[in-house]
Parts: sequence; C-alpha cells; structure tokens
Amino acid sequence: MTDQLLWYTTRAAGAVSLVLLTAVVILGVLSALRFKTAGWPGFLTTGLHRNLALVTLVFLALHIVTAVVDPFTHLGWLSAIVPFSSYYRTFWLGLGTIAFELLAAIVVTSLLREYVGHATWRVIHWLTYAAWPIGVVHGLGTGTDAWSPWFFTLTLVCVAAVGFAVAYRLVAGSRDPLAAPRASFRSGVERKSEQ
Amino acid sequence: MNDSETVQSKISARDRAQRLMNRLTAGIALGAVAGVGALGYVSAATIPGSTSSSATSSTSSTSASSTTPSSSSSSGLQASSGSVSASSSSGVAVSGGS
Repeated sequence: MTDQLLWYTTRAAGAVSLVLLTAVVILGVLSALRFKTAGWPGFLTTGLHRNLALVTLVFLALHIVTAVVDPFTHLGWLSAIVPFSSYYRTFWLGLGTIAFELLAAIVVTSLLREYVGHATWRVIHWLTYAAWPIGVVHGLGTGTDAWSPWFFTLTLVCVAAVGFAVAYRLVAGSRDPLAAPRASFRSGVERKSEQ
Repeated sequence: MNDSETVQSKISARDRAQRLMNRLTAGIALGAVAGVGALGYVSAATIPGSTSSSATSSTSSTSASSTTPSSSSSSGLQASSGSVSASSSSGVAVSGGS
C-alpha cells in the first residue's frame, strides 16, 4: 500500500509540477512584456514568477524523491543526478533529469544573480525555454498517465497556454522602455571598436 | 501636501500588491498540495496498478523465501546423507546373517 502511495504521489507531483512550471513560464513571458494594469503592478508579475519557480522546485523534488525511494522502481539516486544513467526508460527519464538540472541552474543563478552578473544570468535564464518542452516530452514519454485522457488534456492545455504566450511575446516584441537607447548605445560601442 | 498624499497612495498600493502576491503564492502552493492529492486520487482510479504491484511483491517474497531453504537444505542434505550411509551398512550386515 505504501509503495502504491509513493507511485501515485510521483505521478500526481509530476503533473502538478508541469502545471506550475507552465505558470512560471507564462509569468516569465508576461514580465518580459512588462505586463501591468491598475491593480496589478509590474513587480507583482516578477515576484510571483520568482515565488512560483521556488514552489515548482519543491514539487519537482517531491516528484523525484518519491520516484527514487519507491522500492518497486528502485531507480537509484544516480539516475536523478546523471542523465541517461537509469536502467528504466533510459532516454525519457534522462530528459526529466536534464529538465530538472536546467531548472535548478536557473533558480540557483537567479538567487546568486548579483554574483554571476546579468549577462550570464540572462543566458542561463533562456534555458527555461528548453527546460519546459524537455519536461513536457519527459512526461509524455515516461509518464504512466501520459495517454490517460486527464493527463493528456492537461498537457495539451499547458502546451497551448505556453504556445500562445510565446507567440504573443514574439509578435508584441520588446516593451523595454530602455530598448531603443540601449540599442543605440551598443551600436555606438560597436562603431567605436571598428574604428 | 499633495506630493505627500501621492507618495502615501503609492506606498499603500505597493503594500496591497505585496499582500496580494503573498496571498497568491500561498494560495497556489496550497492548491498545488491539494492538486497532488486530487490527481493522485485520479491516477489511482484510472491506472491503479494494484495487480502488477502485488504480483511483483509476491514474486520478490517468493524469491527471498526460496533463497532461505536452499541455504538450509544444503547443510541439511549433507548431514542426513551421512547418517543414511551408516544405517545402510548395518542393514547389509543383517541381511547377510539371514
């Protein structure tokens, strides 16, 4: 009974992590667009994005720990750390390990942002756009419930939501008020270096 | 005076937004915990996996129990074979007498 409880928790925590990660990605896109209304200031989007990223890590940890300690699967801690080292569904589980490590890298560099520098943080933060689809593919490839109607619908909703947000981000372009001065400054620096 | 009121209203708006962020974070975290429970129930209902789980546990217990007799039977066999050979020799002596 306990083994089954771990198994159900693994599956449910994976699905909840997907939903939370989707919300984090959408909030990230909204903060890049500098979304705000009268009752919703800009810092609320950024703050919620950061808080939910930390909550997502907690649920991902629950997903991983319950999978590893489940005696039925006996995956071992190594497969949770080293990608593609698991005997069980090596490729799909490896994708999950990669997605988790990318997210961990993003969160750690966000917490140490003042030490790693803005440029490095920004480059690593772009990995979110890789971590999310890798996580989705991991869920579809290795998930017990991957093709269950409820999980498949959940995945479709998440994919549609992120797809819409990214498409809107691409169409809307940058809403950075300093984008134009920054671009002219960069071009000025480049011109000077060419001389 | 007017500037002071503007600053105060901005401060209170920021406090309100901060409280909203805290409430939203706590609400989403609690919702996620409830979600694990609800989705765990749904996943248990759709793919319970009780047959394969119980079959595997019984297989592992069978293999564990088969290991124990094999180790005990090896020592038991050696002891009993010695005593059998001793009794058979005495039996031969009896049959020869009749």
